[in-house]
Amino acid sequence: MLRLGKHAFPPGQPLIMAIVNRTPDSFFEPGMTWAESAAYERVEQAIAEGADIIDVGGIPAAPGSDVDVVEEIRRIAGFIAAIRSRYPDIVISADTWRHETGRAACEAGADLLNDSWGGFDEQLADVAAEFGAGLVCAHVGNQRPRTRPFRVAYPDVMADVLAQTLRQARRALAAGVQPDRIVLDPAHDFGKNTWHSLEVTRRLAELTATGWPVLVSLSNKDFVGESLDLPPEHRLSGTLAATAVSAWHGARIFRVHQVLQSRQVVDMVATIRGDRPPARTVRGLA
Amino acid sequence: MLTAAALCPAAPLLARELTGADPVVPELRQACREAVDALVQASPDVVVVVGVGDQTRIWDAATAQLDLTPYAPALGTPPAAQAETLPLALGLGGRLLDEAGYHGPRELQEVGADEPAPDCVALGAVLAQVAPRTALLVMADGSARRSRKAPGYLDERSAAFDAEVGRAIRDGDMPTLLALDARLARELMATGRPAWQVLAAAASGRRPASLVRYDDDPFGVAYLIASLTVG
Repeated sequence: MLRLGKHAFPPGQPLIMAIVNRTPDSFFEPGMTWAESAAYERVEQAIAEGADIIDVGGIPAAPGSDVDVVEEIRRIAGFIAAIRSRYPDIVISADTWRHETGRAACEAGADLLNDSWGGFDEQLADVAAEFGAGLVCAHVGNQRPRTRPFRVAYPDVMADVLAQTLRQARRALAAGVQPDRIVLDPAHDFGKNTWHSLEVTRRLAELTATGWPVLVSLSNKDFVGESLDLPPEHRLSGTLAATAVSAWHGARIFRVHQVLQSRQVVDMVATIRGDRPPARTVRGLA
Repeated sequence: MLTAAALCPAAPLLARELTGADPVVPELRQACREAVDALVQASPDVVVVVGVGDQTRIWDAATAQLDLTPYAPALGTPPAAQAETLPLALGLGGRLLDEAGYHGPRELQEVGADEPAPDCVALGAVLAQVAPRTALLVMADGSARRSRKAPGYLDERSAAFDAEVGRAIRDGDMPTLLALDARLARELMATGRPAWQVLAAAASGRRPASLVRYDDDPFGVAYLIASLTVG
C-alpha cells in the first residue's frame, strides 16, 4: 500500500501526477501557469481530467536564471496553501530539492516532497519525516541540481538507478520517513542521455520488482524528442507510448503535462494487465 | 408432474463478473432472482434446469461446473482439468438456484440446439414425470436479431416472432410454443426454441398461469423472464 496524505493506494491503481509549474521558463509551454489565475485554472482542469496528485514546482530543471530559496518559497508555498484550502482531498506534491522549501511546502499542506535531484540536500528527508510526508527518491547519477548531463556514462545504467534510488530509500527510512510513503524515480533525462533513458524504460521492471512504488516522469522530455526527432510541442504520442510501456512494467505514479490522455493510457494499461476491470462490457455477451 | 417453471435468459452478461465495473443490467438479474425465488417457494421435489447446448444430455450437478473463463480469461483459473464444464445456460441456471439458497435435488438437462420439436416434446414428457412435484428452470432467449446493433443485425421478422412467443408465455398457450418454426427460429438466432418446447410439453396439455417479470431487448437480444404455475 502506498500512502499519500490521508489516502492509501493499493498496488495496481495507477496515479496521475499533474505538473503545475510556477515558473516563467520551464521547457514545456513556458510560463503557461506562471500567472496565479492560470495556475488555479490548470489545477481545476487537471483534477477534472482525473489527476490524483498536483505537483507544484517553482524552479525549472534546466539551468537558467537563479531562483533562490526565498523566491522558490514565494512561488509555491502560498499557492500550495490555496490549493489545499480549495481541494482538501487532493494529494499535493512539492517539486523541490531544498529542505527549506520542503518545510514551507509541508507547512502549507503538501503531502509529498518530489526531490528530482536525488537527495542533493540530505535534510529534505528529515523534513519529510518530521511532517509525515512522502519522499521521492530519484536517480540523477552525479548531477548537481539544474545541470545537464555532459558525456555521462555508466557501466550499467539500470544497476546505477537501482543502487542510487535504493540507497536513498534506506537513508529516508533511517531519517524516519514512513516506509509506505517512499517512492522511487529513475528520473528519465536526469544525468542520462537518450540511450540511458530508453534503457531505463526498457528495463523498468527491474525497479518495480524492488517492491517500492515507482514514479516515472516522462512527459515531453528530450529522450522522447530525440527518439522521434520532434520538438516539445509534438511529443505527446511518444510520451504516451513510453507511459504505456512504463505502466505495463508496473510504474505507479506518472508525472505528466497532459492529464486526460495520460489518464486514459494508464487506465487502459491497468485494464489490459487485469489490475482494473473494464468500465462496462457487453460486446458478445448479450 | 410439472408444478412450476421459471423462464430466464441464458446470456453471459447475467454473470455480474462479466460486465466490468458497471453492473449494466441490474434489473435483469433482479427479475431472474425473483423468478427463481418464486420457483423455489413452490416447494418442488426436484428442479430441472433446462438449457440449450450442442447436444441433448444430462449433466451431473455434483461434478460439472460453470466456467466463465472461456468468456473472460482474466477472471482466473478454470476449474480443475478433471472437472467437466457445463454448457453456459445450465451453469447460469445452477448459479441462480445457488443464489436462491436452493439445496434440494436438481437435474441439469441440456437440449441440443437443433433438436426437432417431436424430440423436445418427448423430453418434456419425461421431465414432467421425474417427481410428483417437478419444477423447471428454463434458460432460453428470443431472437438476437432485433435491431441493427443486435449481435445478428436486424431481421424484420424477429419482432413478430418474439411477440408471438411472449404472448404464448403470457397466456399459458403451450401449443403455440410447440408449433414454433424451428428453421425460422434458427434464422432469427432465437436460441431458446428447443427449451421452450420442452417446457410446453412438460405442461402435459394444461394451461399454466404466468407472470411476466421482464420483456425487453436492451442489446438486440430478446430477454423474457417469467414465472409459470400449473394448477
